[in-house]
Order: sequence, then structure tokens, then C-alpha cells
Amino acid sequence: MSPNESDSAVADTKTGVKRREFLKVVGVTGAAAAATACYPNDKVEKLIPYVTSPDNTVPGVSTYYATTCRECAAGCGVIVETRDGRAIKIEGNPDHPVNRGALCGRGQSALQGLYNPDRFRGPMIREGGKLVPVTWDRGIQLLAQKLGEAKSKGQSANVVFINQHEQGSMGAFIDQFLAGFGAPAHLSYDAEAPLATLAANRASYSVAWPKLDFAAAKLIVSFGADYLENWGLSVPQQLDFADARAKLDGGPKAYYIASRRSLTGLNSDTWIPAKPGSTKAIVDALLAAVTGKGTAGLKPAADAAGVDVKQLEQLVKDLQTAKPSLLIADQHGETATETIVAINDLNKALGNVGVTIKPGDASLAFEGLASHAAVRDAGERMAAGKVSVALVRGANPAYSMQGGAKFADAFAKVPFKVSFSSYPDETTQLCDLVLPDHHSLESWGDAEPSKGVLSLVQPTMDPVFNTRATGDVLLAAMQPNAGAETKTAPAAGAKPLGDYRAWITARSGGVVAITKALPTAIMSGSSLAMAAPKAVASKSAGAATGDYFLRVYHSPALGDGRGANKPWLQELPDPVTKIAWQTVVEMHPETATKLGLEEGELATVETKQGSVTAPVYLFIGIRPDVVAIATGRGHTAYGRYADGCGVSAVSLLPVSEDARSGAAAGVTKCSVRKAGGGTRLITTEGAGRQHGRGIARAITVAQLIAGDVKDEKEEFVGQASNDFLPGLRSPVANDAQGDMGDPKSKDVGQYAPDHWSGVAKRRWAMTIDLARCTGCAACVTACYSENNIPTVGAPWQGPRIMPDRTGFGVNITRSREMAWIRLERYFEIDREPKDVVFNPDFDTRVIPMLCQQCGNAPCEPVCPVYATYHSPDGLNVQVYNRCVGTRYCSNNCPYKVRYFNWFGYGEPNRTQYAFPEPLNWQLNPDVTVRTKGVMEKCTFCVQRIKEAENRATLEHREIEPDEFTVACAQACPSRAIVFGDAADPKWSVSKLVNDERAYHVFEELNTYTAVVYLKKVNH
Amino acid sequence: MATMAHPDNDMPARPNIAKAGLQLPAVKDYEQVDREIMATLRPSKGWFLCLLVAIFCLIIGGLAWTYQIHEGLGVAGYNPPVMWGVYIVTFVFWIGIGHAGTLISAILYLFRAGFRTTIYRCAEAMTVFAVMTAGLFPILHLGRPWKFFWLIPYPNWRLIWPNFKSPLVWDVFAISTYLTISTTFLFIGLIPDVATLRDAEKNPIKKQILSALSFGWRNSEAEWRHFARAYLFLAAFSTPLVLSVHSIVSFDFAMSLVPGWHTTIFAPYFVAGAIFSGMGMVFTIIIPIRKLFKLQHYVTLNHLDAGAKLCLFTSMVVGCAYLVEFFIGWYGGSPVEQQYWWNRVFGQWWWAAWIMLTCNMILPLSLFSQSLRRNPSWLFFLSFFINIGMWFERFVIIVPGLSHEYEPWQWTSYTPTFVDYSILIGSFGWFFMWFLLFIRQLPVLAISEIKEIVPPKLKRAHPGADFHADTPGDHA
Repeated sequence: MSPNESDSAVADTKTGVKRREFLKVVGVTGAAAAATACYPNDKVEKLIPYVTSPDNTVPGVSTYYATTCRECAAGCGVIVETRDGRAIKIEGNPDHPVNRGALCGRGQSALQGLYNPDRFRGPMIREGGKLVPVTWDRGIQLLAQKLGEAKSKGQSANVVFINQHEQGSMGAFIDQFLAGFGAPAHLSYDAEAPLATLAANRASYSVAWPKLDFAAAKLIVSFGADYLENWGLSVPQQLDFADARAKLDGGPKAYYIASRRSLTGLNSDTWIPAKPGSTKAIVDALLAAVTGKGTAGLKPAADAAGVDVKQLEQLVKDLQTAKPSLLIADQHGETATETIVAINDLNKALGNVGVTIKPGDASLAFEGLASHAAVRDAGERMAAGKVSVALVRGANPAYSMQGGAKFADAFAKVPFKVSFSSYPDETTQLCDLVLPDHHSLESWGDAEPSKGVLSLVQPTMDPVFNTRATGDVLLAAMQPNAGAETKTAPAAGAKPLGDYRAWITARSGGVVAITKALPTAIMSGSSLAMAAPKAVASKSAGAATGDYFLRVYHSPALGDGRGANKPWLQELPDPVTKIAWQTVVEMHPETATKLGLEEGELATVETKQGSVTAPVYLFIGIRPDVVAIATGRGHTAYGRYADGCGVSAVSLLPVSEDARSGAAAGVTKCSVRKAGGGTRLITTEGAGRQHGRGIARAITVAQLIAGDVKDEKEEFVGQASNDFLPGLRSPVANDAQGDMGDPKSKDVGQYAPDHWSGVAKRRWAMTIDLARCTGCAACVTACYSENNIPTVGAPWQGPRIMPDRTGFGVNITRSREMAWIRLERYFEIDREPKDVVFNPDFDTRVIPMLCQQCGNAPCEPVCPVYATYHSPDGLNVQVYNRCVGTRYCSNNCPYKVRYFNWFGYGEPNRTQYAFPEPLNWQLNPDVTVRTKGVMEKCTFCVQRIKEAENRATLEHREIEPDEFTVACAQACPSRAIVFGDAADPKWSVSKLVNDERAYHVFEELNTYTAVVYLKKVNH
Repeated sequence: MATMAHPDNDMPARPNIAKAGLQLPAVKDYEQVDREIMATLRPSKGWFLCLLVAIFCLIIGGLAWTYQIHEGLGVAGYNPPVMWGVYIVTFVFWIGIGHAGTLISAILYLFRAGFRTTIYRCAEAMTVFAVMTAGLFPILHLGRPWKFFWLIPYPNWRLIWPNFKSPLVWDVFAISTYLTISTTFLFIGLIPDVATLRDAEKNPIKKQILSALSFGWRNSEAEWRHFARAYLFLAAFSTPLVLSVHSIVSFDFAMSLVPGWHTTIFAPYFVAGAIFSGMGMVFTIIIPIRKLFKLQHYVTLNHLDAGAKLCLFTSMVVGCAYLVEFFIGWYGGSPVEQQYWWNRVFGQWWWAAWIMLTCNMILPLSLFSQSLRRNPSWLFFLSFFINIGMWFERFVIIVPGLSHEYEPWQWTSYTPTFVDYSILIGSFGWFFMWFLLFIRQLPVLAISEIKEIVPPKLKRAHPGADFHADTPGDHA
């Protein structure tokens, strides 16, 4: 039952109507009088959240709502699974043109925003320096009054409204509201937006974001554009990139040219480690070379960039031969747009425009964005005392603006500040009035991902807290009587404009049209365009000084910091560094040696704006003259999961804006020194290289073409002593053990293939194509969400008496993370990373590792109580209730994919509880929440298998091939994971297991795994 | 033990008729034996102090366990994939200690090794208490210790049995069998001695208890005959158990596929190590006892010397096993094993491996020197190192293997916490508490068997009756 409903129950009692109470009493006493009579009333729990169930809700059966993701600007379509009125899982919408069914980890974590325990419970007002609850009427009245005052005093022009950038009509709606008070248009702010790229694209192609056709390209060259992470439209780019690479020998070779090898860089075949600011020289030389003006310019360009000229020569050769190619860029500094325009010119010269870059099929995700310069300028006006009222919705500029802009100080000077944010954050913390908006999963809205396509946002459940849609609040504030206290909220019909929902409905074609569109949440139409942002002069503090470049990049998981209050994202190891719950200074081992630093020791990075101290992480994919820090952590007022975790490096950045786009640079100069002392790295990485064990294997395109995929030269000796059974190369050996596994045995029960239950006919299996997998870790979040996996990194989740192990990530320093699927990132190097000499040429392998569901599982015979055993359909089953916790199974698992509940993460009355109210509302009711002292592991989403089987049985049919899939495969934005029945040739997986690139990890151990990996293909 | 000393006896040869080197020249007659050995039953200040310390340690361990049960196993230092740590190390350590007692009382009895006479009671009691201590650890290390009985095959409505393929279930049987047999063996052997105590006892309640424990022993010839047969039978019965229990404990490791665990040498290697560690613990216990209770003329230097030789021998067996393990690790050709071995001896765990090698392989070589073998202080000192070394042997087997397995991504380290250490200390408290209570209640040296090697008082002078006046060792 949502709090709203309980509120109304209270209201009922007040008015003397006790219908609910009556029903409750009848329901409870009638059925269970004897049971409940013994307990005090507070022990009576409601089993079903509804007294009167809404239509179409069947207890135990999910209802699905299509809506649009608001976690970043891309606007992916999602389907939200709700159970008994609560959203429990978010998945990509397969019909949606943007993401085609895939979804990144951030999108899936929207649930933890919805159920965030630190969300505002209702409107708040600042009294005596503290935020205290206030009524909506009073809040709205105050808002209207202050805006009215500003208008009457003629200060309306200085009202500032900063909104988190989102697609759709909301921006235009806010502008209409502001116009009503004579205020200027709002600033649509997104700290992560690639402003320079947008400006350059507008200049070169007349659209902000042309469609990038990775699949059509034979060569992809990225000048710092992290197309697999935060740059642009992450999920569709990943889908396209993976599809392109899945063409294997026909796929594109990828170059990455930047000072730090990001996840995109690690997925590229060649990394050209160009010094920050040297891209223009390289581009000019490339342009000269490919347009036939000679290659003389390459050498000076290579020297300026500090790279090997041979790499540039190879690039030129590739650009000339591999056509069409795709050149994309994200640049920093005062000439960023100019550089990208030059790269776009190169695209034009190579004939890529219209082939791999399609301006005709543009995305509208970034329309109406205000530049960083504009927000900085607003801050300057605030500092000068010119702004009388500031309003913020969703955005958190007090945290995410560059330190040099001193936005928080400026914002604090505004006399009246209103926040519409749902969560407390650094900006809200400074506000005088908080009128919390609904979460996007509770709201109405629209988005326009591409021209003429409307993607609708609809509420998936009743609001969790006493929040109110900002659209409704603004409408209420516009009413003539908004200044007066009213006892009850005015009825919908009484309002001149209706509510925001009615407004959206009206402008999307009315109730009928929208109702028809809601099942997919996609309709044709177009949302209101936001006013083009006002141009603001860019500013630059001038050249910074220091021995090192500091690259501050957006964390793939936490983004500009907005993900930090979601434990799934905090606990998700960074795809590159594998660090969770911590900010690290990434530097090359050479640099660390020079500075006398070792991994884990504290380093101080200092710029004119200040300094931060954080432990060193040795990363071989970064130039020795560059150090890098991810954004996203170091919050001071963003809730229990974010505050005090890590440091914020954005504060180190000076005001250094691109002259044309107003984009704030993420690169500056800094000095680095040893701070003394050290700490444990909160990492999930054990050893970062494979030691020749052939876990993540790869072949080259040349091998593939030659048909020599048999074996990459592996140092690992030993081979399987048994041949795999013919026809079932991969997953089947002996499902059961002992007598059960003996085909001659008389009574094998359900394990007999001809048993009436038909269970043993199936053989659940999975293939993971390493040529597709990028290592983005969306599968990890999907698994957390589907399987109720607890996060364990919060400071209170460790042992209570243990002075040496406190703080964030305390359990992870002892490798106690619970991710049932993890991404192992191996560098192909021949020595420990700390001894590596800088060399841009190294291969990276990423492999998702989950329970391999071995046919001959080492974990099974050692369990003394049969808590783990083999099911007839090939699953390695774990019975949580039976487990006594000897942990022998984990010892004997060569893949190390079993996870133990060291504390009572699933027990609500414990300090280590992982799901503080209302985070527990997200829990999947189909999956047990494990108690302390038991082992858990991947079950191939057995609840989904059973659900599909039950559904098929009820419909008197067999399960259709590829009818359902597991959570990780469903989410995977590169479609690397395929799940299905390997014993049935109609399923996709049974074809893939016979791929020539297929292999099993640790085949020589005779485990007969059901997870088959397909070798990565290097270009 | 225990056939009557009778010149014309046609019973089996008297195993305990000591060879000259093991005789007790300073013990004149039976009364002296009774008097001096029963003197150990009188409480002293030192005894109380020791008991207090032991109970204090036990309380520390008990509190730590309570805390662990309440909070979860996470309070211990586990660092996945190191899923077994100090508790299993200590479990194997105590099981090992528990081997020397039965070895000394049973196997040495069958082999007619006379030096066992004066030390076997002590070793046997040590066995029982060590197995009682060891038995706690498999329960204590469970995630849900209150469900430990699920490992026992008891009849139940759900018809769920334990998994007999799991070595952990074998452990349940092996340990409970061993505990039963060794306890029976201890109490059977105690019968004549308890009868002696009973006769001397004034307190009627105690007398009742002792009567019961002595099964109404009347020292008749028939009783002695049955007693000797029963003792021989139990000795023969427990001999294979000495070998089987630790073999089965070693299967916990050898049956798995963890590098460094999956080794065929484990069974004999563990048994040898167990005897070695047991001898170490016997020295740790018997040397202070003979000193504090002034029993040096019972547990003579000759006895210690013989024990030290056994210790040296087993040390060399264990050392040989280490070297064979290293060799096979290299010779097997599996990079997983090779990297594991390198990491164990020269990498991450070098310190633990070298503590083990130093204490178990190098320091005991000093026992080649007769003067050191006959030096109780050195033996006592060395026994500490043997105990430490053998604890580390188990640590080095269990932890480095798990921390450096097949998946490099999951290579980790392991640091125990104060909870692990407290429970380790608590286990010593538990063991010594029982042992101290034992030496106050029952004779810590076997009175009846010692009497067998003391010449009986004869009515008239016997030609050889004054042999005890000779220098020990010179007698032919």
C-alpha cells in the first residue's frame, strides 16, 4: 500500500468514515481470527496491498507499463514491470526505435531513484536553517507569492529556472509558465551533454545529432568520443557498434584517439594516445594525407601529440582503404568545436556524410540544451545579487558545475530559491522551498527522440511519497487564487488549464489517441520545441599550469553524479578501473614510480581551484603525463549512499569554455604529489591479467579468414579427457550424478529423457559472444534487479566492531560483493601492471563470468546437505533453505561464482540490511531474499524459466523457441548474451553453441559448462 | 599394558617390561607409585591459576562466537574465495593433535614400545580433549550453525539424507567414531587406576562415582585377563582409526579440485603430520607436568628421548612430503599448480610457508643431537615451534590454495580478524580447561602400568633384585 493510500485511510477516519477499517477488520478477523488474536495489532500485516484492487491487477501476476527512461537525455523506451501496484523491474522496450529492447545500468537503476530512501516525503520549507515539512498549499502559495513579487518589482527578467535537460514538452511548458510571470526561458542543463560535438554537428551537418551508422562503417575513428559510455546516445550506439563488430571479418576496425583509454578505447583495436589539445594537429595532418596533399605533416603532428608516427601512418592507410569510415569526436578546451568541425570536414572529404553519418535521420535528444556557459553566467548574475528567485528541477548544478564557476556560493546568495527535485542534493540543500516532483516513473510526460516520433512517459504506479508533478504545481501557482490558503486542492475541472496530465493528453491528440498509444508508449507526433537557448559569451580563465594534465571524465555508471544515490550504481564496478564506492586517481605506473607512489597510496591533485586527495589506481591505458579522475562521487548532501563517498574532481576544473559552444572543458593542468598514507582500493579486481589461462580468448581477423579458429596460442596445457557428446558439443554431459548420470541405470526418475514430465528434454544454456560484449555491465544491474541481490558496500553493512574496516565499500575490500554476474577485465600484458612500461598497444579482454551451470559441477558432490544439486533440465540448483553454509561448494567452484551471505543483508531488522524502506518495494516477489549464512548464485533466472513453463502449460502448448530470456540477456545493450534450450535446435542458442568460435572456460576440468563463450575477434 | 607380572606366566609376552633404558630406577615400590602419582590430584595454587587462565580464554572465545552467530560470519576475516580460514585450519590442527594419544596408547602398545608407559595416559586424555575441541570447529564455521544436525543422517519425514558423496559427511562419521573409540579406550585403560583411587577415597559420593568408573574392579586374576584382552582388542580397533580419521580429514581437501589441495599424497602426509603435531603437543603438556608435579623420575629423560626420536622421524616424513609436493607441483606441468606453488613459497604467502618449513622441517633436525633430545627445556621450547609450525602447515594448505585458484580475477588475500583469533584462543582455553580438570580428577600417569615396570617387593632377596641400583642404561 502506498503512503498516499494510508494517508487517505487516515483522512477517512477523521471524517468518521471507517470503510477501510471495517473491511480490514472483516478481512482479517474473518479469515484468521484465531491466528491474529494472540498478537498485538501491530503484528497484523496485510498480505495484499490493495483493499479494493484496481482493474487488471491479479495478485502475483505482473502488469507491464511502457514508458520512457529519463535517466539521461537519450530517451530510451522502457517497459516497467509492476507487481501488486509496485514497479519491480525496468527493461528496454523492444518496440522502441531508440534502444530496441536494450537498456543500460543507469536506466535500470531508475527504480532505486523511485524507491530511494532519502527522497523527500513531501514539500519542505526552510525554517531556522532547517528544512521542515510544509503543506502543498502553503508551498505553492509561497512560490506564487515570490514570483508575483518579482514580477511586481520588475525583477522578472532575473528569475532563473534551471531544469535537468529532458526531451519533450516539459521545457516548453516551463517556458510558458515563466513567460506568465514575465520571466525569461529556463536553462535546460545537462552536465554530461557533449556540447562541443553538438555545436560542431550543427555547423557541419545542420543537425545536432545525425544518426551514426556504425554497422555501415568499415572503420571507426573516435577522437575521444566515448560512444560506448556517456557520449551521445549510449544504448543505441552500443547496439549498433556490437552489430557492426558481430560481422566479424566484415566488421569495422576501431581507432581511439585520446589521452586515456576509456571503455570505448579498450573496445577499440588501436589506441593512439594523443596528448590533450593535440587533436587539431593530427586532424589537419590526416586531412592533408587523405586528400592527397602528402604525408609530410604526420611526423610533426605525431611529435606534437606525443605518439608514434607509425600509428598515424597506419591510420592514414586505413582511412584510405577502409571506406566508408566513421569519424566522431568529443573534444575539450577553447577550440573544441573548431577541432570537431575539422574532423567533420575529414568525414566529408572521405565521403562519409550520408553513408555512415546520416543528418537526415537526426536525433532530437539534445535540442534546446543550454550551454555550460549559460549556467555559469546565471551563477555570475546570482553572485552579483541580480537574481531574486531561482528555481531548480532535477539538475544539481551546485555539485556538477566546474569548481571555477563557484556556482554553489553564487546560488546561496539568491534570496528565494525553490527546488522541484525529488531527492535532497547539494543544490536542494541550499533552497528555501522544496516542492518535490514525482519520479519519472510516477509522472506523465513526453519525449521526442527523433522527428515525428513521440515517446510517452506514463506513471507506472501511485506516487511513493507525497510528491506532486511539477507541471501541476506550476499550474496551481499560476492560478489567480494561488496566494490564498485553501483547505483542499482544487478539483481538476476548476482549474483553467487542467492538470499537467490533461495538458499532455490534449496536445498529444486527446485521450483516445493516447490510450491507444500507451501499450507501447510510442505514437507519432511532435512535442513542443524549447526556445533556442540564448547565446552566452564563453569565458576562459586562461592557461592553467602544472606538470600533468588532469582529465576529469564522466563516470559511466554515475554520470555527472546523479547516479550516486543509487546503491546499484555505486556498487557497480567501473567498467575500466573496476573500482566501486570510491574515487581514485588514475595514473600510469610510470608516473606513479616517478612520484614515488604505489597503488592505494594517497595522491593529492591540485589545481588553482583547489585540491583533492584520493588513492592511486595504476592504469596502463593512460598517458604518463595525464592523470584522470571520474566524476560522480564526493557528494555532501545526496543521501546516505552518496554522502562522504569519494571526492569530487569537478571542483578542480577552472572555467575554461569552448569559444563556440560554451562547453566546459574536462581537461586542465594540475600538479600531483604524494599525500602520504594509503587506503584499500575498493575494487573487484584480483589479478588484471589472465596468466595464460585462456579464460577470455580472442582470435584475429586473419585467423578467422584463414579458418584457423582452433586455438589462439594458449599457454594453458591440458585438455579435456572426454569428448563432448556428439551433437551437443557444449552443454550436456551427465546432468545428474552417480546412478542418475548413468545412462544404463534403470530408474533415473525425472532425469530420464522420456519421463512424462519432459523436464529432462530441455537443456538450458547460454552463449556469450565476446566479439559483441563491450563490458558495459548493464547485465550486472539487470541481475541485481531481477534477483534481489543485495548491495554490500554501504558503510553500515560491515561488521559493527571492526575498527580497521569501516567506511564505504568495507565488504568489498574483502571481496564480498554479491554480483552473480561480473565482468572480468583482463589486460593482455606479460607482467604485473605496476611494472608496465608505457605502450599503447595492448589488448583488453572483457568476459562476463556467471555460474556456468556445469553438467558435471564440482560444487554439487561436496555439499553435505544437497543444498546444491542438478536439475533434470541442466540447471545447477541452489536451495537456499537447505544451505547450512559450509561454503565447500564455493571452494570447489573453479569459476568462483558462488556468493555467501556474510551478514543478514536481507533481514530488515539488521544494520546490514541492504534494502532500507522503501528500497525493499523493488524486490522481485518471485525470488527469495536470502538470509544470512547461506550461499547464493546465478540460477539462470529459474523464476523466469518456471514462469514461461507455467504459462505454456496453462495455454496447453510447448514453450516457443526464444519465447523468453534471462535478465542479463534481456538487458544486454550489445546483444552478446543469448539464452535458451540447447537441446532444441529451434532455439538460437543451439545454433550459436556450434559456432566455430565457441569454447568453454576451463574445459580441461571436465565441468561441461552450459555457458559457451564465442571468441573475441581482434582487428 | 597390563598383564600381571608373574614369573611363570604363560600369557603373551609382557610388553611393558621395560627395556633397561626405560626403567624407573628412582621408583622403589608400589606405595611410592601410589603416593607420588596420586599427589597430582591435590589442587595447588598454580593449578587454579592455570584453570582461571584457561576459562578466561574460553570466555573470550565464547563471546566472540556469540557475536559471530548474532552478526553473521562476516565478522570473521573471510575474503572470498578464501571461504575457509582460521576455523578450518584450527579444526585440522586439533584433529592432528588428537592423533598422538591413540598412536601412543594403541599403535605403540601393539609395537611393544616401552617408552609409552609413562606418557600414554596424558596423551590419551589429550586426544579426547583435542577431538572434542576439533569437533566444535566444523559447527562453528557454518553459516547457520544451528542447522548443523542436517549433516547427520537422522530419520526425518522429508526423507532427506545427507549427501554421502560429500567429504564433509565423511568427516562427521570419522570424527564421531574416533571420539567414541578414543574415549572408550581412555576409560577402559583407567579401570585399575580408578580402582586404586576408589580405595583411597574417603568422600562417599566420589567413592560412588569412582566405583562406577572402575566397574567394581577387584584386582582378581580373571579381571586382569579380561582387561588385558579388552585392552588389546581396543588397541587393535583404534589403530586403523588413527590412520583413517586424518586421511578422511585430508579428503576434505584432496577430493576437491583446488590447486594445492587436489593431491594424492594428502592422506599419508596428513597422518604423519598429525603424529608429528601430536608428539609436539605431548611434549608441551608432559614436560611442565613432570616438572610441576615432580615426576621426573617417572617420565625420565630416556622416555623423552624416545619420544623425541619419534618426533624427528615424523618430522622427516612430513618434510619429505613437502618436498614431494613441491616437486609434483612443478613436475605436473599444470601452470595453475606451478603458479600456485610459486605464489605459496615465494609470492604472497612466503612468510607462512617459511614459518611452516622452519618449524616443521628445519628446527626438528636438532633432535639428531642426543643432548638436545635429553634436554627437557629444549624439547619444551621446540614443541612450541612444532605447534606453531603445524598450525601454519594447515594454514598454508588451506588459505593460499583458495586465494590463488583458477580464476586470476578472483585472486585475493586473507587477513583474520579479532573474532578469528578470539575463537582460536578460546579453543585453547576449552582444551586446557578440560585437561586441567582431568589431571585433578584422574591420574595423569598410568599407575597400574607403572607398577608393572617397578620390581615387585619380594619376601626374600632375589639375585637380581638390586639392579635398580645400577646406572640407568648400563644394564644389559
